[in-house]
Amino acid sequence: MTQKKRILIVDDDPDFAAAIQKILTSADYHVDVAGNVNDGMKAIKEEIPDLILLDVMMERYDDGFNMCYDLKHDDRYRGIPIIIVTAVTEVTGLKFDPQTDGEYLEADDYVQKPISPEALLTKVARLI
Amino acid sequence: MSGERARILVVDDEKVIRDSCTRILTTEGHIVKSAEDGNIGLEVFREFHPDIVLVDLKMPGKSGMDILEEIEGSDPNVVKIVITGYATVSSAVDAMQRGAYDFIPKPFTPEEISLIVARGLERRRLFLESEALRVEQERIRRNMISLVSHELRAPLAATVQYLEVILGGMAGKISSEAKEMIDRCNIRIKELLELLSRWLNLATFDPDKMAEHFQDISLSNIATESIELLKPLAEEKKISLILEKPDDLPPIKGSKVSLGEIFNNVISNAIKYNKAGGWAKVKLYERDEEVWVEISDNGSGISEEHLQRIFDEFYRVDGRRNAPVKGSGLGLSIVKRLVEAHGGMIDAKSRFGEGTTFRISFPKFFQRQKEG
Ligand SMILES: Nc1ncnc2c1ncn2[C@@H]1O[C@H](COP(=O)(O)OP(=O)(O)OP(=O)(O)O)[C@@H](O)[C@H]1O
Ligand SMILES: [Mg+2]
Repeated sequence: MTQKKRILIVDDDPDFAAAIQKILTSADYHVDVAGNVNDGMKAIKEEIPDLILLDVMMERYDDGFNMCYDLKHDDRYRGIPIIIVTAVTEVTGLKFDPQTDGEYLEADDYVQKPISPEALLTKVARLI
Repeated sequence: MSGERARILVVDDEKVIRDSCTRILTTEGHIVKSAEDGNIGLEVFREFHPDIVLVDLKMPGKSGMDILEEIEGSDPNVVKIVITGYATVSSAVDAMQRGAYDFIPKPFTPEEISLIVARGLERRRLFLESEALRVEQERIRRNMISLVSHELRAPLAATVQYLEVILGGMAGKISSEAKEMIDRCNIRIKELLELLSRWLNLATFDPDKMAEHFQDISLSNIATESIELLKPLAEEKKISLILEKPDDLPPIKGSKVSLGEIFNNVISNAIKYNKAGGWAKVKLYERDEEVWVEISDNGSGISEEHLQRIFDEFYRVDGRRNAPVKGSGLGLSIVKRLVEAHGGMIDAKSRFGEGTTFRISFPKFFQRQKEG
């Protein structure tokens, strides 16, 4: 039996994270949850996940963007696929458009909260 | 500027003028500094942060006009008063165009200089107040964004996410009756989320930010995509969609997403407020320096009294809770802002019972004027 693929959810909303976790575990992924950037980085250092689902707005409104940037500019971690999870697509000062912003954000994909289980699983399967 | 105690800078090459200004204004309780030429004046300006600057127009070295321009460029809210020995109309006008607020001809009496400084201070006070107001408004706006996105959207998103898990059968079996109810909950909350994000977009809309990302856009493509997107809705309501466009429509400068939103909103209205067998037509053409879009329908039409208000936020002709056609009343107010952010104009003509035509014009070469 092959080992389960590991997914790390970094999100400060425990309910949202729990719901997503349920969807992913039911598709036979191993899922860890971190409630903030620090815990997220700690988890990544302990064991590199096969994919990260990263919330944008946590304590600060751009925590997720910064974490994504840090990971993608670190040789140890740049290979981990990241799916950015946003609650709002377009907010002034935080304009978010996969087509234009994707270039410098370097995330591998984007989803908007809430997301249908099928859509989420399709996106995850494509990257793992 | 605290109380009426202001910081005043006098730049004049004549010592008498500097000294008399300093004496008069210090006696009135102001803090006064002076400089004998333009370069020193600007140096003092940068450190002293004056409320008012009095500048002689004619000095050796750096001219008064140059000083005015530099001060205007670095802080337009500093009140600039020109001292001039040759108060010709043209030099005064020139100075005003460079941002001067007033001028005082030499020689002047203590009363004259007091009066003009007092007027300048009043002006300064208004500047500062409106600036403070602007900052406060911006703060409120930002708070509203984070309130809406975090405090309102997040709990709803988490709730929907749980409902999706339950509906997907990942939390065990549920009765079909329960499933139906949860399905309804899900739909209702999603509608609320949609309303919130529309309202959020409207409340935080910043045309300057948007214009930074303008590109060449073909409205033919936007119209085609929008019609494609709305086809299912039109089929469901038995409305035929017609597109009329020339092959060589020039592009306009704009945002693809926003232009799409404009078309989607207006065309979906033409479908929604229509009856089975009706049509909605999109016509594109070029006229002079503009590209025109006409979206017409033979639907319910809008009577004169309502027509004036359809672009208002939350306005709906049938505003009842259980109105047969659902909507938030935000669509057209968003459309209007987006059109104007593209330098365009929109108007509507309608006959009650016959149909409605929206006309939108976009300039081909729109460059938003940058402020400041
Ligand atoms: N083509 C049309 N024919 C008839 N009435 C229209 C048409 N377009 C708009 N209206 C009227 O103008 C009102 C405002 O339209 P608007 O698009 O702003 O809001 P809405 O359609 O009610 O809600 P939504 O925010 O979902 O678009 C509508 O409620 C409708 O009464
Ligand atoms: Mg509408």
